[in-house]
Amino acid sequence: MQKDATLDAKGLMCPMPIVQLAKKVKELKSGQVLELLADDVGAKEDVPAWCSRTGHQLVGVEEEGKLFKFYIKIK
Amino acid sequence: MAKKVCMVVSEGTFDKAYMPLIMANTAAAMGDEVHIFYTFFGTKLVTKKANPKLPGMFRLFTGMFQKKMKAVGIGNYMETVQQARDLGVNFYACTTTMGLMGVKESDLLPGVKILGAASFLKLATESDTTLFIG
Repeated sequence: MQKDATLDAKGLMCPMPIVQLAKKVKELKSGQVLELLADDVGAKEDVPAWCSRTGHQLVGVEEEGKLFKFYIKIK
Repeated sequence: MAKKVCMVVSEGTFDKAYMPLIMANTAAAMGDEVHIFYTFFGTKLVTKKANPKLPGMFRLFTGMFQKKMKAVGIGNYMETVQQARDLGVNFYACTTTMGLMGVKESDLLPGVKILGAASFLKLATESDTTLFIG
């Protein structure tokens, strides 16, 4: 999937992927797509929850073994 | 849409110290306004000397817990407090129990406001949820 930036949160557990994600989106412009890499099982539910609360759009999720790749379009 | 979240922390052990901070930092990262009210044994957690340990016999394992948390990206207690402050979390110490616990205003971490029950209840009744960490 096309992306403008990547945030590598592999190895981090809740709440750090979400905390870092919130920081990272501030650096990006509206319409850009951020790729978030995470291997915390909790991220599978937490990232969509964060997106629905913040209004950023989750445009794709890919699973590769234990790794999740989230694609988030900045509002 | 942003929500308003309040928490009450009445214990001062490692687990009761981290849990509200993790919740608070997550809520703040979701764009929520967060208020944490520290009372009774919790008031020690917002002092400059705060260094919470696990309860009872488990206190001996605090360092081990800390190490495991560090490995998954969660900093030590003061680093986590600082992260909360950077995210805009509001900290309050309960005026009455500060006296009981021997906590002076000058002992408090910078930015911690002193509040009475009425002011906290005003915040709580105007908020979307209040969590009690006891």
